[in-house]
Amino acid sequence: MRAEGMLFAAALAAAMGLTSCSRGPERAPEVLAESVRSIPLDPADKAWTAAPEHLAKLVPQDLVEPRLVTPTTPELLVRALTDGSSIAFRLEWADDDQSDQTGPSRMADACAVQMPTRRDKDLPDPQMGQEDRPVYVTYWRADWQAAVNGRGDAIADLYPHAAVDHYPFEAGPLEANPAAKQEMAGRYAPAKILGNLRSGPRKTPVEPLISAGPGTLTPVAWQGEDGKGVFAERRWRVVIKRKMPEGLRPGDRTAVAFAVWQGSKQESGARKMRTGWIGLLWRANQ
Amino acid sequence: MARVNNWQIGREMSYWYPESRPRRQFAAVFDTNKCIACQSCTLACKTTWTSGKGQEYMLWNNVETKPYGSYPLAYDVKLLELLGSQEWEGDTYAGRTIFEAAPAGERVLGWGPEEQDYAYPNTGEDDCAGQVDHGARMALPHMSWFFYLARICNHCTYPACLAACPRGSIYKRPEDGIVLVDQGRCRGYQECVRGCPYKKVFYNPLTGTSEKCIACYPKIEQGVQPQCFVNCIGKIRLAGWISTPEKARLDNPIDYLVHIRKIALPLFPQFGLEPHVYYIPPVHVPEAFNRQLFGPRAAQAVKAYLNAKNDPDLAGLLCLFGSTEMVVARFKRQGETVIGSDESGATLVQVPLKEPVFIRPAIDPRLQVIRTNCP
Repeated sequence: MRAEGMLFAAALAAAMGLTSCSRGPERAPEVLAESVRSIPLDPADKAWTAAPEHLAKLVPQDLVEPRLVTPTTPELLVRALTDGSSIAFRLEWADDDQSDQTGPSRMADACAVQMPTRRDKDLPDPQMGQEDRPVYVTYWRADWQAAVNGRGDAIADLYPHAAVDHYPFEAGPLEANPAAKQEMAGRYAPAKILGNLRSGPRKTPVEPLISAGPGTLTPVAWQGEDGKGVFAERRWRVVIKRKMPEGLRPGDRTAVAFAVWQGSKQESGARKMRTGWIGLLWRANQ
Repeated sequence: MARVNNWQIGREMSYWYPESRPRRQFAAVFDTNKCIACQSCTLACKTTWTSGKGQEYMLWNNVETKPYGSYPLAYDVKLLELLGSQEWEGDTYAGRTIFEAAPAGERVLGWGPEEQDYAYPNTGEDDCAGQVDHGARMALPHMSWFFYLARICNHCTYPACLAACPRGSIYKRPEDGIVLVDQGRCRGYQECVRGCPYKKVFYNPLTGTSEKCIACYPKIEQGVQPQCFVNCIGKIRLAGWISTPEKARLDNPIDYLVHIRKIALPLFPQFGLEPHVYYIPPVHVPEAFNRQLFGPRAAQAVKAYLNAKNDPDLAGLLCLFGSTEMVVARFKRQGETVIGSDESGATLVQVPLKEPVFIRPAIDPRLQVIRTNCP
């Protein structure tokens, strides 16, 4: 905690000294949220070029088991925009493979933004928060993006040559009774019945969560979270939008942390690359 | 890691959580000598629980032909190789369990099957362990062998799936020891799939969660045996409750077969999970193979099983397999009859030790015709 706090202070000091004299594409030592009228979800939107870029170094999650033993994604480029009520981050990282499908030992690319739930002097543990000081997490996943982009929610959408004999809930006599059909289909999909939307169909590729320490991640009510990820030239560019922290004003600082998962490297859950807390400044209009 | 007692390996071992045994433990005995691999169990399970979208490849129950069959592919030999030497000193396991052999940063020693590994559920089916040379089929005992191994989740005392889950989405029910994945909490990390050495947790790509055998708990709660048990036409299966060895009861069918007569043995006890599906080993399989699968007591188990015809209590209990759909909690033999009853002692079924023989004469004396077996 103390080490994290010191790093945070150093980042703030460096930010104040360096951002004012940089030229061309800014490489800010903290995340600077630029004010805009409306936040574009498209990561290719030119509005993003106006936002200063922060290079966030990633470290393996090696505090709780299962740990990531071998480092993978080394760094992340972050830009931030805010319209006053929401804040969006554009995360960009190099990835050799687009992993946008899950299956046995097949994981999806993903990234997440973490912010403290309160603007306390002391920040929570940077890794998923702690019991008395939880953190908000907004999580984006490539297979959810594929579902939002139109990929269907059937086995043939994942495995085009799959042959299925029969689903009992698609039997002829049930066609006239959609309620009975849905009830029967639900018996074979308890996660969906319980509202655990880990897969498609989906309206957004992101999920709002709260965490009070490793292993405690829990979905929370939607508050306008959204996002969009595009894979091109072996890079992911992902926009994650969420509500602006309560009480934050232009010129105020808070903190943010990021995590990246590469599906092709078998990363999911605790097996991830992450940052510590990074300063986040809502830059007042210049 | 906590230190826990594992009676199947005769010693303490390390486990992710402290020892916490359920009030009673669901258990089963499968007689491998009676299985004909008809897959009725597989289909009963499939139609009941895994006919949904994303479950197409799942077989919570499967029957594989040993030595070459496995589902998913090589689930057993891959881990045996990863684990290395597995020596026993008497009834004590001298090697490392999958918890003790966990690499740095891992909770258990495991591996993740890929899609292709699930593509051949019938691989090795009916393949003999060796070549059948010309004329060898005419000689007894046969030179070559295979047997059928029916498998479900073992509802272990120390589940590796449960230990591997970093968010506590898997739990062991205190009332019956059945191990379940909380479908509301699971986030599909597949740590449980990697961790389970028996590969009896499956990832569903369309719900995005992992799913597994639930021991038909809605039936168990009603005192009825699971689907794969009651649909077994070979009558190889018996469901019930197992005690720890020091609390074994003479009238408990599972205790009697596992603890008292010791003819039913756990599958790969050396992995350290204390699994609760117990197998009567095949009688015609080389001792070394049985020993690798079922531990150091395999040869004694085969010997005791082969002597069952001279052992009325044991023979009687074996007759209760497949005799009722209810869970037989107690049994007793009275002369030539064996009686199975529930927890309260109420009789569920009575079975003769020897089925009466009826001889049907070839000639019908009343009609004066010769009976044939053809329609």
